[in-house]
Amino acid sequence: MAHVVRMPSVVANATEAIVAQWLVSVGAHVSLGDPIAEIETEKALVEYAAEVEGTVGRLLAEPGATVAVGTPIAVVLEEGEDAASVTFDEPDPTPSRPEPAPAPQTAASATLTTTELAAPVTPPGANGTQPGGRLFTTPLVRRLATERGIDLTLVRGTGPHGRIVRRDLDAYTPTVESAPPPPASGQVAPAATGHTDVPLSGMRRAIARRLTESKTTVPHFYVTAHARVDQLLALRQEANVLASRKISVNDIVVKAVGAALVEVPAANAVWNGDAIRRFDGVDVAVAVAVPDGLLTPVVRGVHTLTVTELSARLADLAERARAGRLQQHELEGGSFSVSNLGMYGVDEFSAILNPPQAGILAVAAAKRQPVVGEDGELGVGSVMTVTLSADHRVIDGAVAAEWMAALVRRLENPLSILL
Amino acid sequence: MPQRRALKTGVPWIQLTTTRDDWRNADPKLLTGMLVQLHLIRAFEETVLELAGENLVHGPAHSSIGQEGGAVGSIIGLRSSDGVTGSHRGHHQFLAKALGHVAPEGLSLDEPVSAAVGQVLRRTLAEILGLAQGYSGGRGGSMHLQWLEAGALGTNAIVGGGVPFAAGNAWAQRHAGTDDATIAYFGDGSAQIGSVLESLNLAAAWQLPVAFFIENNLYAVSTNVEEIAADPRLSVRGQGFGIPSWKVDGMDPLAVHLATQEAVARMRAGDGPAVIEADVYRFFHQNGSYPGSAFGYRTKQEESEWRERDPLVRVATELKSLRLLDDEGERALREAAQAAMREAAHALVEEDPQAPGTRRIKPDLWPDPGFVDVGIRGDASELDALEVLEPASYGGEWRDSRFVDAVAAVMDRRMEQDPRVIVLGEDVHRLGGGTNGATKGLVKKYGPHRVIGTPISENAFTGLGGGIALDGRFRPVVEFMYPDFLWVAADQVFNQIGKARHMFGGTNPMPFVLRTKVAMGSGYGSQHLMDPAGVFATAPGWRIVAPSNAADYVGLMNAALALEDPVLVIEHIDLYGLADRVPEGDLDYVIPPGTAVVRRQGSDVTVLAYLSMVQRCMEAIEQSGVDAELVDLRWLDQASIDWDTIGASIRKTNAVLIVEQGARGTSYGGWLADEIQRRYFDWLDHPVARVTGGEASPSISKVLERAAIAGTEEVVSGLLAVRAALGGQ
Repeated sequence: MAHVVRMPSVVANATEAIVAQWLVSVGAHVSLGDPIAEIETEKALVEYAAEVEGTVGRLLAEPGATVAVGTPIAVVLEEGEDAASVTFDEPDPTPSRPEPAPAPQTAASATLTTTELAAPVTPPGANGTQPGGRLFTTPLVRRLATERGIDLTLVRGTGPHGRIVRRDLDAYTPTVESAPPPPASGQVAPAATGHTDVPLSGMRRAIARRLTESKTTVPHFYVTAHARVDQLLALRQEANVLASRKISVNDIVVKAVGAALVEVPAANAVWNGDAIRRFDGVDVAVAVAVPDGLLTPVVRGVHTLTVTELSARLADLAERARAGRLQQHELEGGSFSVSNLGMYGVDEFSAILNPPQAGILAVAAAKRQPVVGEDGELGVGSVMTVTLSADHRVIDGAVAAEWMAALVRRLENPLSILL
Repeated sequence: MPQRRALKTGVPWIQLTTTRDDWRNADPKLLTGMLVQLHLIRAFEETVLELAGENLVHGPAHSSIGQEGGAVGSIIGLRSSDGVTGSHRGHHQFLAKALGHVAPEGLSLDEPVSAAVGQVLRRTLAEILGLAQGYSGGRGGSMHLQWLEAGALGTNAIVGGGVPFAAGNAWAQRHAGTDDATIAYFGDGSAQIGSVLESLNLAAAWQLPVAFFIENNLYAVSTNVEEIAADPRLSVRGQGFGIPSWKVDGMDPLAVHLATQEAVARMRAGDGPAVIEADVYRFFHQNGSYPGSAFGYRTKQEESEWRERDPLVRVATELKSLRLLDDEGERALREAAQAAMREAAHALVEEDPQAPGTRRIKPDLWPDPGFVDVGIRGDASELDALEVLEPASYGGEWRDSRFVDAVAAVMDRRMEQDPRVIVLGEDVHRLGGGTNGATKGLVKKYGPHRVIGTPISENAFTGLGGGIALDGRFRPVVEFMYPDFLWVAADQVFNQIGKARHMFGGTNPMPFVLRTKVAMGSGYGSQHLMDPAGVFATAPGWRIVAPSNAADYVGLMNAALALEDPVLVIEHIDLYGLADRVPEGDLDYVIPPGTAVVRRQGSDVTVLAYLSMVQRCMEAIEQSGVDAELVDLRWLDQASIDWDTIGASIRKTNAVLIVEQGARGTSYGGWLADEIQRRYFDWLDHPVARVTGGEASPSISKVLERAAIAGTEEVVSGLLAVRAALGGQ
């Protein structure tokens, strides 16, 4: 019997995704585990593998189109089946959205004449469409959609009864095919010179949204330290002479970060809304620049890995990140992030937190510069500036300082982490 | 065996009749002047009925034919500065007053119709036909005839409705130091309605120079006075209120005149009010040109008996016997009056070219339809010269003050600066400043003539305040101890005060301030705990302010007292005792209409609130964590509300929550939600949400009262419900 391939829920709670590219064509034979499509979400570009063996009968989703999770995207036929004979429900009436939180209930007895507002947010159809085909939108949304040239049938509604509300429009990413024509003159400031408007990718939108939210809602504060890394650089050089694979400064820094988080567990925590969650193990997310933006794959159990193991893990994650081959689970979790721009020679920078994480370390380049030694004599040493961005809801200044001291101690005494 | 002794009121009640000597002794000019007026009014009324018969009078034409003697006899001795108010059947009263104004020396048989008289006839007829050249631009018509210059204060379509205004006019006349007087005309049908009875009491208690003139024509539409009163001699009312009363034959204008002269002499001397009952008869039915007998409630015989006593015939007969008139003179007068009315009508109506043989209103005489809503209220330009101060951005020194002390302080300041300001209300002169201390210290400083404790009769003392405001020499501040009393005084509040400007043409100032306090939470129960804002917002003549803090109160009350419009000032008992503050050394600033203030910036939802709910909303926003923008409306009426501020906020948040404390039925937010959805439809991302109390009025039981009103918790719920619907999750 034919198998209907539905848009997978690549990320927990995701409601939609894009088939970035089909890796198979109609008529191709696929085996269990063969990658058949690249699925793009806000957070990741992942390969989707066939769950059955057979022949690709139909490819239903247009590459680049946003599709609600659960919607049929392809049909895989068994031997001898005809694609035309396949029937399936379209669109899927039971999307995998979680049940919405019930409307707030209070003991208040006075009347709220907000019957409609208080109605549960019921799962919509593919978008604001209700049985009967009517599209439910708000007056504001209709006006804005006209202004922005957005086809509302492509927008999913999250308001009461699936109504498309302003926030849905704001979160909507037009795909290339459905991208609106350039705005009429007057809607953008006339440019003195030519320009190119680069359409926003899902990832770019996600970065814009998440980091704006982080920077505007999370109380950031910053702690900076200058670590003497002469020993660290020397040790790395020595180790690389014999090592099976060359380890990077970043590998050592991540390892040091892991060790510091073990030493100061109060910093190994995330903001959980109504509680602060402290972790037993150390999972560190590492920022990886990719062509279209940034990904933060997570290395788990940093404290249990040797530097060599860690280095191999980081290299693998970075490579697959750049290739768009990360699995979703590799992007989730982590109590802490490391962002290293040292390879670009920057002196110092600060990073924006990746909620719900409570800390991110910005690592600059190790540079030779005048230093005052312990003996008070001026000399030349290698100094690396590291800046911790911390969420003050989770980490207070003293904890941050304690953690930074622990980190610097390790960076300046690298044997303690290599052994 | 108990001892029993008959008690007497000691109040004179007199039947006055004329004798031959009275007619002989009367000034011939007075008698001929009466006859001229009687004929002019008769011819006028005949013309009105003729035009009504041609369907040219829109609405009822209540004819005074047969009753002219009462109005002419009583008014002919008055000054222009004396006032009269009338009822729905008031053409004759209005004309008598207007004719007396344009011909203060009286009309003569030699020249019965001067140019000025012709103009009065034409403009009065134009008003009755609803034409632009009428005294009220055609707005008032037959039942709302007003010419303030002439002392014609307005006839009234509400039975007894104009009587409290007459008492107020008399109050102003007396306290302005004049010996002018006012006559309130009404009929047998009005003689037992609350407005009249309450006014009788007020006038007697305060010795006001007002005469209650009962035109007893025996029928309230078709109901005979014998059916509705135990004693059909309605002047008996004076006995119950301590008011000297006269009963006269209204078909004898001289008798009416003599009785009125006696009454007016008392009033001018400061001896207080009078009741005059004139027995009259309308020759036709309630309205239109058929006799009452045609409708079966009286006989043709009764009608013919009364017609034989026609006041025109009576006066002419007496004049002839005094050789002051002959048949030819009488005929000439009749013809002159009819000719004057033909001329007046000719100026207003013409042959209808579409329907030969019929007439129509001259089309260019109609009011411009664009005039329909002009002058509902003033343009507030009276505030232009005043100091504006915005407490929300005030940077100077502050002084601590409880809210209620700021109420008393600003009233003190205004009374000190403006001798026209007076205060009226129940117990405002006692208890250390009324029941809440809002008039603290005022009676001591300004005396009982400016801080006036009233009987418990809201309809009369509110209407009395309305009459004072219309007069303009004083600016009354009336207090309702509880807002629900507005229903008791509803006719005066809404039909009279609220419409007094627009109904009479849009130019009358009505500087009337009504203070009241919302008392939800005080346990006073279902009949004391309303929020009046919603009801007043439906009455376009009224402006409404609802201050949420003491500094705003000062500025809003000063604006209310400066405006030439009726303004409802809503207070709240929860605010009275609060430690608050006002700008140091300044009780003179105003906060003009159209100035809402944003108390908290936010992006998720616009919360619209006023009065004590502003602080409740602020608490609820903090508790809920919803990023709401809180707008304190301050001015609530449809003309004064600040759409600029509201609109800017809605464009920003795209969602609205209207918050009020009280019961949903009389709530304020309904019209506001309606207006918002029309003004901002394209900016709304969500239905307009509301928080109100329950459906019913709050009960006495503490638990039920709390359940019936909205507080911080209900606002939190409202905010959370709004947030749940915002979407994007």
